[in-house]
Amino acid sequence: MRTLLLWLLWLLIAAIMVGSYLFAPPMKSFVGGGESSRILFFHVPMAWTSFVAFIAAGVWSAIFLKTRKRRHDHAASTAVEIGLVFCVLATVSGAIWAKVEWGAYWNWDPRQLSILAALVYYAAYLALRSQVADDEVRARVAGAYAVLGLVIAPFLFFVAPRIAGFSLHPQPVVNQGMKLQMDLSVLGILIGGSLGFMALFFWVHNLATRLALIEDELDQA
Amino acid sequence: MSQAESTWAAEAAAVFVKDWRCEYRTRYALNTLGLFAFTTLVVVSMVLGPVGNTQVMANAVLPVILWLIILFAVTAGLPRIFVAEEETHTATALRLAATPSALFVGKLAYGFTVVVLLEVLITPLFLAMVQLNVAKLDLLVAALAAGGFGMAAGSTLIAAIVAQARTRSALFAVLLLPALVPGLLFAVTLTRAAIAGSDPGVELRMLLLYDGTLTVAGLMLFPTIWNP
Repeated sequence: MRTLLLWLLWLLIAAIMVGSYLFAPPMKSFVGGGESSRILFFHVPMAWTSFVAFIAAGVWSAIFLKTRKRRHDHAASTAVEIGLVFCVLATVSGAIWAKVEWGAYWNWDPRQLSILAALVYYAAYLALRSQVADDEVRARVAGAYAVLGLVIAPFLFFVAPRIAGFSLHPQPVVNQGMKLQMDLSVLGILIGGSLGFMALFFWVHNLATRLALIEDELDQA
Repeated sequence: MSQAESTWAAEAAAVFVKDWRCEYRTRYALNTLGLFAFTTLVVVSMVLGPVGNTQVMANAVLPVILWLIILFAVTAGLPRIFVAEEETHTATALRLAATPSALFVGKLAYGFTVVVLLEVLITPLFLAMVQLNVAKLDLLVAALAAGGFGMAAGSTLIAAIVAQARTRSALFAVLLLPALVPGLLFAVTLTRAAIAGSDPGVELRMLLLYDGTLTVAGLMLFPTIWNP
């Protein structure tokens, strides 16, 4: 069953990679005939996956603080580690695309601001973990910091962007009138990509957490 | 029931009074925070000169500088709220003496009063030295109070975290600054509105909501950080 799911995941990701170049039409409204839009098939899912990873880390931390089971702490810390990789990739791919589309790598767009704030916050989380010697204290303290991140995140992701007043970012997939603005094949690849990247995250996360648990047991033995 | 409530309040008040008594004896906050903020202020305004005369630039830049001075003073001084308890080995006694939530509230009250004193000291000086006129003084006071409270609430929680770690002062800034980003954004926007004399808008409510969120999160998370 596990192997089958894994094969399906690889198939899905391969299909997205091929589809994003061959199947989806270029978005005409974009600079250069719309070929630059193809980076979004990777940028948007990666941004979403990092978002999901950080939320998951906060939830696992809350569960850890409730149950005090080591595996939940490991689940939270590996979620942050992998989430940061996706976050960096999303930031970099976004900056490259911004250079093509808006003429500068960094524009202080509200969403650039919030992803940067998340990047700094969860990098700080890892810095904190590296600075606490005792396993039990580290888990508690880092857990509290991750839960705090979960509480502040709505301000970062939703409120601060509104404050900034304007955004160069393309409209969300479905706009306020609940009207679909995208070509269906584009939307399909975006959604498929998001699901595929998230599944990839949870697969890698599962491996990393189990590895951390094994290392834990070896240390105690 | 009423007795339990009064002891909780008494504990919080005792922590608050104890911290101010320590402060009165050592004058740590006054010497370190106050002097740090004052020196930064003098250096910054020397470099800037009377920027307040050029309104557009002043409105954009000066509120940021004011909040950065307060923020840096806070990151230099407030970790002591809990680090001192670990260094003088009084943390265990404190764990036995006070309920975590009462302790958190007492420490938060102490941190908030320190920040307010700092702001009272620094803000008039800053406004005078860069020759900045404030159109809505009440809005500035509200921004300083609400922004200062957010900083104190965040600092109290992060100080408790940092007290458990090895490198404290550097880590405190690393952990605190990203957590304070939303609050700072609101506080700076409000200060700009106060200088320009424009409407506070949704930002004041957002800042108060942020303060409330930090306080509730602090009350819920602090016991897990504090109790081994």
